[in-house]
This record gives sequence, C-alpha cells and structure tokens, in this order.
Amino acid sequence: MSSNQNHTASEEAPKRHKVEGPQKHIVGFVMSLALTIIAFAAVSAGEINATFTYIILVSMAVIQVIIQMAFWMHMKDRGHLFPIVGIFAGVFVVITMVVMALYWVWW
Amino acid sequence: MSAHDHVEGQLPHEPEKATLEARNKILGFWLFLGAETVLFGTLFSAFLALRHNIGDGPSANELFQLPLVFAATMILLTSSLTSVFAVQALHNHNKKSMLGWLIVTIVLGLAFIGLEIYEFLHYIHEGHKFTTSAFSSSFYTLVGFHGAHVAFGIVWIALVIGQVLKKGLTVVTAPKVYISAIYWHFIDVVWVFIFTVVYLMGKVAG
Repeated sequence: MSSNQNHTASEEAPKRHKVEGPQKHIVGFVMSLALTIIAFAAVSAGEINATFTYIILVSMAVIQVIIQMAFWMHMKDRGHLFPIVGIFAGVFVVITMVVMALYWVWW
Repeated sequence: MSAHDHVEGQLPHEPEKATLEARNKILGFWLFLGAETVLFGTLFSAFLALRHNIGDGPSANELFQLPLVFAATMILLTSSLTSVFAVQALHNHNKKSMLGWLIVTIVLGLAFIGLEIYEFLHYIHEGHKFTTSAFSSSFYTLVGFHGAHVAFGIVWIALVIGQVLKKGLTVVTAPKVYISAIYWHFIDVVWVFIFTVVYLMGKVAG
C-alpha cells in the first residue's frame, strides 16, 4: 500500500508542474514585431528629423533586446544572476568602446 | 549524481538543468556570450567610426534596400520564436515536436543566409567591394561576421538534432539543445542592433 502510494506520487510529480504554454513567447514575438515595424516605419516615413529618428531607432532596439533576453533567453527566470553579471560585463565594455570610438571620430 | 536519480526513460521537469555539469555548461555559455558581446561591440564601434568614409564607393543610402532588410529581419525573428518553441517542447518532454521546431529553425536560418549572400553579391555588382572604402570594409566585417555566426548556428543545431536522434532526449542531450537555442537567440539579438545601426541609421544619414 505504502509503496503503491509512493509509486503514484512519483508518477504524478511531473504533472504538478504547469505545462508551459506558447502564450508568453507569442507575446514576446508580437512585441518584437511591433518594435521592428516602428523602427522601419520611422525611417521609411523620412519626415522626422535625423536626431529624433536616431533616438527612436536606438530606443526600439534596446527595448526589443531586453524583451528578447527576458522572454526567450530565459533571463527573467530564477537562477540567472551570474548570466546577467556575465552579459552586463560585456555590455559595459561595449558601451565604453562605442562611446570612445564616436568621441575620437566626432569631436 | 542527480542524473542517476531519475527512473530510466523519465526526464526531470527541466532536463537541461538536471545535472551540475549541465548547469555549469549553461553558465559557461553565458560567460562566452559576454565575450561575444565584446567581439561584436568592437566591430560595431569600428563601423560607427568609419561609416561615413565612403571614398569613391556608393553611400549607405544609395546601397541599402529596406524591403530586403525587413524580410531578413522577419525571417530571423521568426526563427528565434521557433527555437524558443523547441525549448518549450523540450520542457514538455515532447521530442518529436522539439525536433520539428529545430528543423524549422534551421530552414529559416538557411533562408536568411541565402538572402544575405544575394544581398552581398548585389552590393559587389554595385561596386561596393570589401576594399572599396573604410565603410565597405567595416560593413562586410560586421555583417559578414554575423552571417558566419548564423552559418555556424545552423551546423551546430543540425549536429544537435543528429545526436538527439541517435541518443534520444536525455539529461545529457537536453542541455545541448537548450544552449544552441540560447546561441540562436543571441544571433537574433545581435541582428536587432545590425538592422538598427547599419541599415536604418545608414538610410537616415543619407
């Protein structure tokens, strides 16, 4: 009886995890799609001044990357502190390099 | 080892994180992606610094066609979605569906590569060769490096599919599927910055 109960419990264990649905991934996809279309539309329209267009483009890209990393690369899941530290160490170096390169060329 | 705690043929809920080795692989892979970020960052900073030095060659505005770039973007974005579906199927222990989504991802990756080759050949025809100007060199280095990453990802995922077919979905093969999917998302994330910085900003600069 007792072993039978254990057997039943271990069989049912996986079912207690909620089955992962595609909804949140589709939400991420639709958001990415919308941000991409806004960026392309801002350039295709061509009516807006260049500086403002640059701001729109960079914001759309940054938001889209954050959404994709959170939803699709599972960074919002628990246990992702070190991946976040790793990636942001990289991002810190990149920002430094890009700012430096632009400073050399433009000023 | 926790790998042997599980009954034969019964996978834990998140098979890609079931063993310490698998968790270490995932962490190590994230640190590798941090280094990849720096690699692409150097190429981006070089491109940003040199993009107006077109010499005698065509300018970004004359060269780039947004419909083609938009198509490539849609293909890669969709392939990122299909690879996350593969990971979801992995979590639900559905091997057949997982393999199906991985194959769709590969097909979309091949379509992207095909489009990029067509694009580069078109540019060369327009007189935008690798050595034409500082702009063309930094363009081909940055976008070509990304294309090479896509090509590498296609080969990698194909090998992972082969291994899953041979060995089945286990706590050893599951982390490989997961990591290759993370890599594929990273490629898409880099492309977001490429279409923004290279193509869209190139069109704005005129």
